[in-house]
Amino acid sequence: MTAEVSTDIIVLDKVDKRFGPNYAVQDLSFTVKRGQIVALLGRTGAGKSTALHLMMGVMPPTSGRLIVDGLDPFREFKKLRGKLAVSFQTDRLLPWRTTLENVALGLQILGIGAVERRRRAEEWLANVKITGAENLAKYPHELSGGMRQRASLARALAVDPNLLLLDESFSQLDHVTSHALRTDVAELVRRLSKTCVLITHRIDDALEMADRVLVLTAPAKVAYDLEVPPGLRHDKAWLTEQERLIAGAMSGPAEQPRVT
Amino acid sequence: MEPTVISPKTPGAVIPTAGGASAKGGPVRFWARELLANAVVIVALVIAMEVWSRHVPPFIMPPPQRTFNAMISALQNDYIHIALTIARLLVAVFAALLIGTLIGAAMALIRPLEPYLRSIVVIDTGVPALSWMLFAIFWFEQAEARVFFILLMILVPFYALNVFDGIRALSRDLVEMVETFRPSRLQVLRLLVGPHIVPYLLMTTKAIIGYATRMTVFAELVSVSSGMGARMGAAQSTFAMDGVLAWTIILVIANLLIQGLVQGLESLLLRYRPEVEVR
Ligand SMILES: Nc1ncnc2c1ncn2[C@@H]1O[C@H](COP(=O)(O)OP(=O)(O)O)[C@@H](O)[C@H]1O
Ligand SMILES: [Mg+2]
Repeated sequence: MTAEVSTDIIVLDKVDKRFGPNYAVQDLSFTVKRGQIVALLGRTGAGKSTALHLMMGVMPPTSGRLIVDGLDPFREFKKLRGKLAVSFQTDRLLPWRTTLENVALGLQILGIGAVERRRRAEEWLANVKITGAENLAKYPHELSGGMRQRASLARALAVDPNLLLLDESFSQLDHVTSHALRTDVAELVRRLSKTCVLITHRIDDALEMADRVLVLTAPAKVAYDLEVPPGLRHDKAWLTEQERLIAGAMSGPAEQPRVT
Repeated sequence: MEPTVISPKTPGAVIPTAGGASAKGGPVRFWARELLANAVVIVALVIAMEVWSRHVPPFIMPPPQRTFNAMISALQNDYIHIALTIARLLVAVFAALLIGTLIGAAMALIRPLEPYLRSIVVIDTGVPALSWMLFAIFWFEQAEARVFFILLMILVPFYALNVFDGIRALSRDLVEMVETFRPSRLQVLRLLVGPHIVPYLLMTTKAIIGYATRMTVFAELVSVSSGMGARMGAAQSTFAMDGVLAWTIILVIANLLIQGLVQGLESLLLRYRPEVEVR
């Protein structure tokens, strides 16, 4: 048990989640090793967000076993304080707080004093390349979409979590902005050896950032499990081939041509 | 009396920002035009009074000069009554804000209580202001207690209902975001719910403050012997029309000043909002 906890930060074992009669997640099993960036890739309705909500502990699984950083995320909700942080598709910044105050939110909830909070928030903003007193003092509506998303990532990282969950965090940005942000976040997460689970419906998001790509098909079954070899991450031919295979896996068995 | 509270479903769209007068020609031109219009209306009113006063006895319409003198005399001798009325108003509005917030928050956050509290609030709004004034005379001897009670009964429902709506309009996304940090219930209230309802409180205050001023004076007239309302009543009972007019003018000015105060508070507290221009 302890050995498992120390190497695998996330364990899902035959997890089901039903809403009424419908399975959003069915018999889902996978593990995530500490320090990895893992992408959960799937089309809309594949059950990605439900899997995320289960890992966040905001809802219990219908059956199966789920462990996040050695804890049951639902039953031991409060114990995961400061160990896990989430960034979403939209920035979800509080409109009445400045950039700096928004990034300090998690630290404030952890009970860290104002001076230290400010210092750390500034440091994390610098890590996501937001600097300058006037930017830190801006309100969310005064920032560009890319900047807001950066601030939202800084807010998640600022609590120094073991596990960072990203739910479509790059999906709403334009191509250039999302590429720049993905690169920065991947570099940051690797440098700090944090674990990161990226939930996305975009193949480019997944292949560009992740060490491992899990393709989910409805209701949340692992249809394809790909370790991205570091040497091949930028290999055009390999990427094209993987994109084809992933796209096939994503479209799911029901939509693949029947073989008789 | 015009009870005018619109429930703030989308405060972002409804609350104009400070200096939201940037329609055409810039804010300076706008204010100059406003000022001119006000001056024209006031001068016209004074002329009308002057003309009218020449045809009727002074207890119907005194000449403007007499009204002006009465006003100066009221400001010099009765300023304590002016201060008293304004203090009563501000204390009662603030207390109504606190109590209304508590009731509205309880309605929104404690499900089983909602129908009961809502029923109390709705019944309260149905009771005429005059009834509260008469009840207050029976139930309380002390002048301050009477006025305070009357204003509380009239104002609390506005705050309660708007705070309730405000909390219900809190975005699920923001709640979920805050909860990823695993806060205590108190932290959720302090860091999320509290700041979120500030615009609703301001909007309610803005909507009711003029009504509340008139109700304060009305309550003073009916149930106590101090304050602007009571002085106005005294002037009326001695057929001193110049006094009644003087107090009316003082009330209009006081009302404008209080509205300005609320406006200033709003632009201070809501400075984080983008300026919305609706074309
Ligand atoms: N709270 C819920 N109640 C009922 N059905 C839900 C709920 N959440 C998700 N579902 C259903 O579960 C399935 C998977 O949804 P979701 O996890 O949001 O997928 P994804 O994030 O991959 O698009 C969908 O069919 C969706 O309608
Ligand atoms: Mg989703």
